[in-house]
Amino acid sequence: MAIVGCALLLSACNKDRAENGNRGAIARLPWADVVSLARGSTVTWRMWRGDPSVNAYVDCWVAPRLMSDYGISLRAVEGQGPEIVNQLVVERQARARGVADLVWINGETFHNLRAADLLWGPWASRLPNAAALDSSSSIVMRDFEQPLDGWESPWGRVQFALIYDTVRTRHPPHSFAELKGWITKHPGRFTHDQQFTGVAFLTGLMYSLSGGAEKFEGGFRRALYDTASARVFGWIEDVRPDFWRSGRDYPLGVAEMHRLFANDEIDFTMSYNQNEVVTKIRQGVLQPTAHALVIADGTLANAHYVGIPFNAPNPAGAMVVANFLLSPEAQYEKLRPEVWGDGTVLDAAKLTSALRTRFESLAADPHAVPPAELARHAVPEVAPQYREHLAADWKRLVRERAP
Amino acid sequence: MIADKRSLTRLFPIALVALPPLLGLGYALSASLGLSGVANGGLTLQYLREVIASHTTWAAVGWTLWIATASTVFATLAAVLLAATFRAESTADRIGRMVAVLPLPIPHVVAALASLLILGQSGLLSRFANTAGMFSTPAQMPPLVYDRLGIGLIFALVWKEIPFLALIAFTVLKSRGGLLEESARSLGANRLQTFLYATWPVLWRGMLPGVVAVATFVAGSYETAALLAPSRPLALPLLTMERYTDGAMELRPDAFVLAGFSLLVSLAAVAIYGAMIARAENFK
Repeated sequence: MAIVGCALLLSACNKDRAENGNRGAIARLPWADVVSLARGSTVTWRMWRGDPSVNAYVDCWVAPRLMSDYGISLRAVEGQGPEIVNQLVVERQARARGVADLVWINGETFHNLRAADLLWGPWASRLPNAAALDSSSSIVMRDFEQPLDGWESPWGRVQFALIYDTVRTRHPPHSFAELKGWITKHPGRFTHDQQFTGVAFLTGLMYSLSGGAEKFEGGFRRALYDTASARVFGWIEDVRPDFWRSGRDYPLGVAEMHRLFANDEIDFTMSYNQNEVVTKIRQGVLQPTAHALVIADGTLANAHYVGIPFNAPNPAGAMVVANFLLSPEAQYEKLRPEVWGDGTVLDAAKLTSALRTRFESLAADPHAVPPAELARHAVPEVAPQYREHLAADWKRLVRERAP
Repeated sequence: MIADKRSLTRLFPIALVALPPLLGLGYALSASLGLSGVANGGLTLQYLREVIASHTTWAAVGWTLWIATASTVFATLAAVLLAATFRAESTADRIGRMVAVLPLPIPHVVAALASLLILGQSGLLSRFANTAGMFSTPAQMPPLVYDRLGIGLIFALVWKEIPFLALIAFTVLKSRGGLLEESARSLGANRLQTFLYATWPVLWRGMLPGVVAVATFVAGSYETAALLAPSRPLALPLLTMERYTDGAMELRPDAFVLAGFSLLVSLAAVAIYGAMIARAENFK
């Protein structure tokens, strides 16, 4: 059966190798030629489609402008992180023509795609708008410590924040030590989710308990991880009886966390976007008394990127879209709290004074953490293996050993 | 020759239906043996061995079997009860039958959300109890969702599967029930005896394919479990998806092995069905 299945998959489609060679030259063409190649084409963008604000920005703001400025029709389709890797692996094995031209990626996914040679490039440093990138920021220019080298183009920047209710919790904790005390004093009112954001919380905790993020920079070190993770799970073990449901069960993802928080079952939810509190209040998901909070020990910040798959049918179109996403107009629109509140990857100092004023005029929403405070406490993500191991060990040592 | 051609033509639609899942099965099998997929380092039984040796796997299989069995049994009993109650041609019975099948077009995910809204610790039930002064905080309400027994999940699944099974039960009784029951009654059977010896045997034989379909569907259903199941034990579809979308690529083959386990659970239900039908045939 397996042999029949594989044989059929392998013979399903045969890719023209010469085509790959021609596509390689696209990244070296003058920009005007890339734009004219892209004109009139369709770009399929595989991206996370789980947030109505993000979808509205892409479908109702980005797509019409790409059509009017470049004649490009943008087709945004669902697929994120590991799903993208799975899909591309299958396409390579079946030697099938690709479907996606552009993929929204970062961290582990970038690492896995690069390791399996599933990205096309390098191309990103060829984008005219890349000149205004915040090139001094290690958070933007390094993806979980990995150099970008033109294989992906920065798109947005986010920072981890806790969300609490200013009425229910008048004196929120500002460090992990204070949080521990708070949890013990308020049994059943704190938890974290099992997925991406929950692991980000644990990573922040790991930095804090082991002397800061800089200790973990410079690639994955097993011995360091073993000592540091033991401290994390020790901390969790100490407070677990006072977690929601006595630490026996954990919400699946942040959507469940937000629901439990809004329904007064827990007192903190969390988000890997410092401004999500603002958009969620506007959507009516969170109560107007919700407020973001950063832990002063340091909170994780990272950037997200767009990449082009090795078998993208339309790499020129994808490059034009990526360049448009980096334009000051698109970055400004995305940053507006009523749109998405996604941080910019541009350096304001590199913009014209008129544009700079526009960015600076975006007054911080009273529910959000002021930009200066965010910047003061931002710490970068380190090698993706730390996150992978922490996630696996949490499942083994915490979730499965639940009383 | 003509006959051959005809049978070939007849095979075509079957192939159309069977080929995609068979291809998927072939791919899953080869991926779980390390022959394709992300971790395709050559033929190995390592992934199979690891998954079989893992306590998590068996906890997931056991919990999923519990959910599938409990919700199928409750839904079947409720459907039988409905069919036996609303079977006449009177207006009241017609309305009863219509109301019973109303939830049929509602998606499972909506049923799961409804279950969350009603049974959650901050749900409607909890708020009524709160108003009645039974407890003051949500945490005092016994957990009925994300709970170890899967009460909220079973509630949602039963509610969703009742109309499907009731529809089958109504049809079976209408087409095959009347004559047998009349004969039973004319032979002097009372109401209970008529139900036990005439109605029930007709019903279960007619409903069995539907019951098996419900059990296999429930065992593999992801979205209801994602919304209502606890984090330990993790339901089999959730565990499979977690391994399939884990950042660690070396866990991919595990997902395919677990998908094989799901298939075995479904095949077991079909095998039980086959055995029961064979036994019934022997009785004839």
